[in-house]
Amino acid sequence: MTTTRREFIKTVGAAIASSQIPPQPAAMGEAAAPLPPPGPAAQQSAAKRKVIYDQDNSGPFGTDILGTLMMLQADSIDLLGITLVTGDAWMKQEMAYTLRLLEMMGRTEIPVYPGAEFPMLNTKEEWQLRQQLYGGHRLDPWMGAFNRANGGPNEIKQLPPPYDRPANLKAQQDHAARFIVRTVRDNPGQVTLYAGGPLTNLALAIALAPDIVPLVHEVVIMGTGFHVFTNAFNIFFDPESARKVLRAGWPKCSIVTLDIAEEIHEGDEIAPGRRMIEEIAARAWSPISELFQMHAVEPLRRDPNLHFFRMADEMIAAQVIDPSAFTKSEEMYVDICITPGPRYGDSMFWAKNWQAVPEAGKSVSAADRRVFVDPRQFYLGPPPSAGLVRVLQEIDRDRFKKLFVDLMTKPIRKA
Amino acid sequence: MRSPSDLLAHSAMISQLAQTPPGPSGKKKLIYDQDHRGPLSTDTVATLMLLQADKIDLLGICTVSCDMWAKQETAYALRLLEIMGRPEIPVYMGAQEPLLNTKAEAQMRYQMFGSRSLGNEGYLGCFAKDAAGRDEVAPLPPPYNRFARIKAQPEPAADFIIRTIRANPNEVTMYCGGPMTNLALAVMLAPDIVPITREVIFMGGGIHHSTSSVNVYFDAEAAKIGVRAPWPKFTLVTTDLAEQVHMQDDGKVDAIVERAHSPIADLFREYEQKPQRANPQRRSFRMPDEMMAAHAINPSIFTGYDDMYIDIVTHNDGHYGDTSFWDANWKDEGGELSGQNNPSLKAGRVQVLNGIDKKRFRELFTDLMTRPIK
Repeated sequence: MTTTRREFIKTVGAAIASSQIPPQPAAMGEAAAPLPPPGPAAQQSAAKRKVIYDQDNSGPFGTDILGTLMMLQADSIDLLGITLVTGDAWMKQEMAYTLRLLEMMGRTEIPVYPGAEFPMLNTKEEWQLRQQLYGGHRLDPWMGAFNRANGGPNEIKQLPPPYDRPANLKAQQDHAARFIVRTVRDNPGQVTLYAGGPLTNLALAIALAPDIVPLVHEVVIMGTGFHVFTNAFNIFFDPESARKVLRAGWPKCSIVTLDIAEEIHEGDEIAPGRRMIEEIAARAWSPISELFQMHAVEPLRRDPNLHFFRMADEMIAAQVIDPSAFTKSEEMYVDICITPGPRYGDSMFWAKNWQAVPEAGKSVSAADRRVFVDPRQFYLGPPPSAGLVRVLQEIDRDRFKKLFVDLMTKPIRKA
Repeated sequence: MRSPSDLLAHSAMISQLAQTPPGPSGKKKLIYDQDHRGPLSTDTVATLMLLQADKIDLLGICTVSCDMWAKQETAYALRLLEIMGRPEIPVYMGAQEPLLNTKAEAQMRYQMFGSRSLGNEGYLGCFAKDAAGRDEVAPLPPPYNRFARIKAQPEPAADFIIRTIRANPNEVTMYCGGPMTNLALAVMLAPDIVPITREVIFMGGGIHHSTSSVNVYFDAEAAKIGVRAPWPKFTLVTTDLAEQVHMQDDGKVDAIVERAHSPIADLFREYEQKPQRANPQRRSFRMPDEMMAAHAINPSIFTGYDDMYIDIVTHNDGHYGDTSFWDANWKDEGGELSGQNNPSLKAGRVQVLNGIDKKRFRELFTDLMTRPIK
């Protein structure tokens, strides 16, 4: 029986390495090739970037947790709060992991807010029927909290090592959406919303308080895609919320698509013969070292064929911490299909300059020919309410990997 | 082949509607959520009924965009409370926009698929082509005359709903006279309120007269959340029932203008009697919100209800916001209908009011409108 890639990663670990490669001694890290210096945003600046971290924080390890660790470790980030949303796991289970992770990292000053337990309209049973009716998602069959084997929204499974036990730390009473509204209003123009899960909490926040939209500094969202596939989990888990949030008209909305997220995987080599996760497991401080050792390196040894997962949430973190890691982006219109058919949750993109006509005599590249079409002949524009967003399109892999490894291996940041 | 009306007849329930027992205070605690169109409309008249009823403890008024934009409705609601001498009732402005529906899309759907074809069901409220903008607030005509001195509460309507239901478990009746946007937001933010809400009363949808109405197709996604939630009791006034009584039937308006106290008499004279006299062909509106208010005040006026399943179409096409109903007594008994008459997978349960004692309704209504201002 084959296990799907994503299930495998979620159950066994996040990366793979050939078992011939021995664990890297700490000293090896010092010999790493010099990489370009970090961008200005990554450097210590007087004003730290204020961030609300909205996440479907599915433990014990994986892209959600790694995004969290990056944000906890970055000195330039003022983490105002963590808000949780059902997605990869049920919200209450995510809460158990998140609170304990903050304890282990010694960052109990960060408030954690419970968010939406269910998507706006989507349900597990209808999703399963849709799969029967229209066919399942062959490339990315992950259903997160709705996975067939999962229990209900109130089931909290015991936390494995190195979490070991439930946290003493408690969650806040207030709902995530209200915390977002309050915090954005109190810090106009300053708050970055990191949206690493389904967009239910953000949709609720802007439905309650549409006035916060122009007050947000930037929203960074993970999901959607053109080439790898158009149907991304964070979107198709709650397409109605995604449509609402992507249409909102934020001052700045950056999207990490699956296309770019697929370019780097957690177990990639960072130098000849050295895999990223082994490097980190060897050099990181506790508890990051234990997390990598137990949930990445050891699973790899047991199964050398284990697939790596893409670094989706880590890329959102990079965009927040050091946007210079991204070398190309393009403004585009985006909208989400919410018709409950086979394309429920699909993302659709349109060029911002769809009306542009090439200058007379100017040659047009094959890539641009799609866009530069006479608008008198064809309508290639977006639907009336589509949102204008900035799609991150190219990443400096070395810089991104260096940022990631640096954050994972630096001493654990103090509160 | 069985028609929907056969199904209704088949499932007709014996009326079990006893007078709803009052709460500990002796009054029914009610949150009034309304797309409060001024100066006078089915919305406003229902507000007057609930303000005048003795047995209603009106905990708060929530507004929601639909018939008008929420800001304009809030202006009308606040000033109405002032001229009725009830400034102590808090007003909460609710959702200014539907969860997802937009004016541009509503207009384009009508172009592409045609408007809703029955009577005035094409009505789009504040999404109408020439309607004012979302943040415009027009001056209030007589007898309102000016904007209110009292202000709306700073809290969003959805938060007020959550807080109030939690503070009064099993006691609060939710009157939803507009789209269910505020209620849907409350349910999404706090699913725990669903089992401790005493009753939800909603107006929208229909089986015979029309398959939908503006409260549903203005925000179909919110309606879907609202009807699917497992409320202890969800009561529906359909367009079918609302069509049975119109405002100008049986000389109600003239009787009210003659006998009512100010400002109710002024409102009815100005906005019902005068237009009707100027244009005898004018078709006065049905009384949907007044029926919901009547159900909140004295449910025994209704002859009974049909237990049904309900669901909402959210496809972005000509059927956006249609309601679907199924007989709640449905059983798959095999045979030729097997698998052909089941409700949708996640359909909600609803008590569809199926008849009204018109005489008692008229008495209740006229009494509330003409008694001294409370």
